Amino acid sequence: MATVKITNLHKSYGSVEVLKGINLFIEDGGFLVLVGPSGCGKSTLLNTIAGLEEITSGKIEIGENSVAGLHPSKRNIAMVFQSYALYPNMTVSQNISFGMEMKGVKKPEREQAVNKVAETLQISELLNRKPGQLSGGQRQRVAMGRAIVREPEVFLFDEPLSNLDAKLRIDMRTEIKRLHKRLGSTIIYVTHDQIEAMTLATKIAVLKDGCIQQFDTPYEIYNNPNNMFVANFMGAPAMNLIEGKIAKNKKNIEFEMKNSKSETICLPIQGINDIEQYIDKTIICGIRPESINDLDPSLNKSAVEREVVVDVVEPAGSDTFAVVELGEKQIVARLNGNSKVSVGEKVKLTFDLSQTVFFDSETEDRIR
Amino acid sequence: MNITPTKNTKDSIKISRIFIYLILIIFAIYYLLPLYVMLTNSLKPLEEIRAGGMLNLPSVWTLDPWRSAWSTAQIGVDPSGLKPYFWNSISMVIPAVILTAILGAMNGYVLTKWQFKGHGIVFGMLLLSCFIPFQIVLIPMAKMLGILGMAGTTSGLVFVHLIYGLGFTTLFFRNYYAAFPTEIIKAAQIDGAGFFRIFWRVLLPSSAPIIVVTVIWQFTNIWNDFLFGASFADFDSIPMTVALNNLVNSSTGVKEYNVHFAGAILAALPTLVVYIVSGRYFVRGLMAGAVKG
Repeated sequence: MATVKITNLHKSYGSVEVLKGINLFIEDGGFLVLVGPSGCGKSTLLNTIAGLEEITSGKIEIGENSVAGLHPSKRNIAMVFQSYALYPNMTVSQNISFGMEMKGVKKPEREQAVNKVAETLQISELLNRKPGQLSGGQRQRVAMGRAIVREPEVFLFDEPLSNLDAKLRIDMRTEIKRLHKRLGSTIIYVTHDQIEAMTLATKIAVLKDGCIQQFDTPYEIYNNPNNMFVANFMGAPAMNLIEGKIAKNKKNIEFEMKNSKSETICLPIQGINDIEQYIDKTIICGIRPESINDLDPSLNKSAVEREVVVDVVEPAGSDTFAVVELGEKQIVARLNGNSKVSVGEKVKLTFDLSQTVFFDSETEDRIR
Repeated sequence: MNITPTKNTKDSIKISRIFIYLILIIFAIYYLLPLYVMLTNSLKPLEEIRAGGMLNLPSVWTLDPWRSAWSTAQIGVDPSGLKPYFWNSISMVIPAVILTAILGAMNGYVLTKWQFKGHGIVFGMLLLSCFIPFQIVLIPMAKMLGILGMAGTTSGLVFVHLIYGLGFTTLFFRNYYAAFPTEIIKAAQIDGAGFFRIFWRVLLPSSAPIIVVTVIWQFTNIWNDFLFGASFADFDSIPMTVALNNLVNSSTGVKEYNVHFAGAILAALPTLVVYIVSGRYFVRGLMAGAVKG
């Protein structure tokens, strides 16, 4: 078990800089998820931690020690790959014990370790099969077994669930979380799936273009995004980002947006200090679908009711998502699953303003 | 729409099947005919061949032409038969095939999984060797063999075939390994395996199809080579192909066609055996290397 500290890490391929000064710290037993779109550098970052790719500058420490120049096998890490990367010519048990064999561990000891891990992962009956004879989920378990048997200080997962079908992915997600709790080890986990990030992480780092956009707890990432990218990336359906103007009516500051019929809809703004600088300027308002709902507005002090036209209705069982017209943009509202709204209907929806965030339309940074 | 085939369509499928088989059988006969002629005539006494009727089965069956071709026929100046030359060829082909396959696999491994600066250029130059006609290198190669002290020896021929085959074997293995997941190599690195360990324990055991392709390709090419054998071999290292030529083209004495036929079959036998034993992997492996690469 160990902490991982990354200081000012840079990585370039020739003239292309893929990691531009990464600073991260993950506590002992923490679960760090690196999340971002394809090509943001998250897998490269993981590979540099594993020692599979050299870094251009900066420092990586696992535990107390810098791992600079250490071979991947000497870093006390284990890695689970997206494609599982099982050795196709070896049986499951040979796959799991290959690392120990390389270390020169005796055969009886190896077998004992393999059996123990196989029991934990419920793959005992598969030990003599080749990877080609296994299903995706079974291969996934074997890959995890190969990692666990190393008893590493840090686990590295590189999109381990993205090759599984939807249902299995959710099962394995739960299993990884359970495993983390039982082993108590430090985990660094790469994914592009923001739900995986939210459910698994103790800390999330959102990456884009080789820079960390935000590094915080899942709660903070979701509710207090640093910028528009984070706001838009985390959450499904995505946060509604509506363009509008800041106006001062008497003493109140309001956010004005127009619908397709050029009618103005105003939302009052409270408690944002810097907002006065933006009066008469265009800014972006971010509001999560669940903050636009059909709850009774009198239940919530910071809620207001506004009338909107329903454009599309998407029932999803537990919820009904309604696409409504607002501020020249279509936005998503999350309604009760039993809601009977129909297309073209004018409905009154409740806007929970305690959860709204505002962004500068040029820098895309949060206005606080 | 009705998707169950009607009687009519069933019949037309049947007819087209028969037609296809008929054509395939005709072509098979066409291709097997030379082999038939060689086999039957190698089992006849010479008088019977002289009397005509090449396509007839032997009226007197005899194995004498085979015995003669193998151990007593006049090759050049020696009445040694093809036997010593057969062993010459074997002792040339086996090391040459093994060496080209191993070095080709190594090259493919480095060119795909341990890429260095300029790996593309190195691969390009190796590929170029596949396109150089044999005749161009004859004189420089003779010079090189002389400098290395390997002129006229079997090891000299092995060396020549090694140089010439390396381009092809590298191409085969490079394309095969390009499709081999790099993540597996990374996993092996994390498990603590080094350069050679990964090669022997992980990569080579997964390379059966492409090894078969390489072995067949190299074996037939080297076994059937005539030009290098005729140019660089000395009396005691002459390969089978050259000896067969000396047998068939001898300008003295009676032309013993039955012995020639037997000798030709003997010369073709090893490649035939290699094909029959591993041929079904050949197409599969060729596809794997070519399509995925």
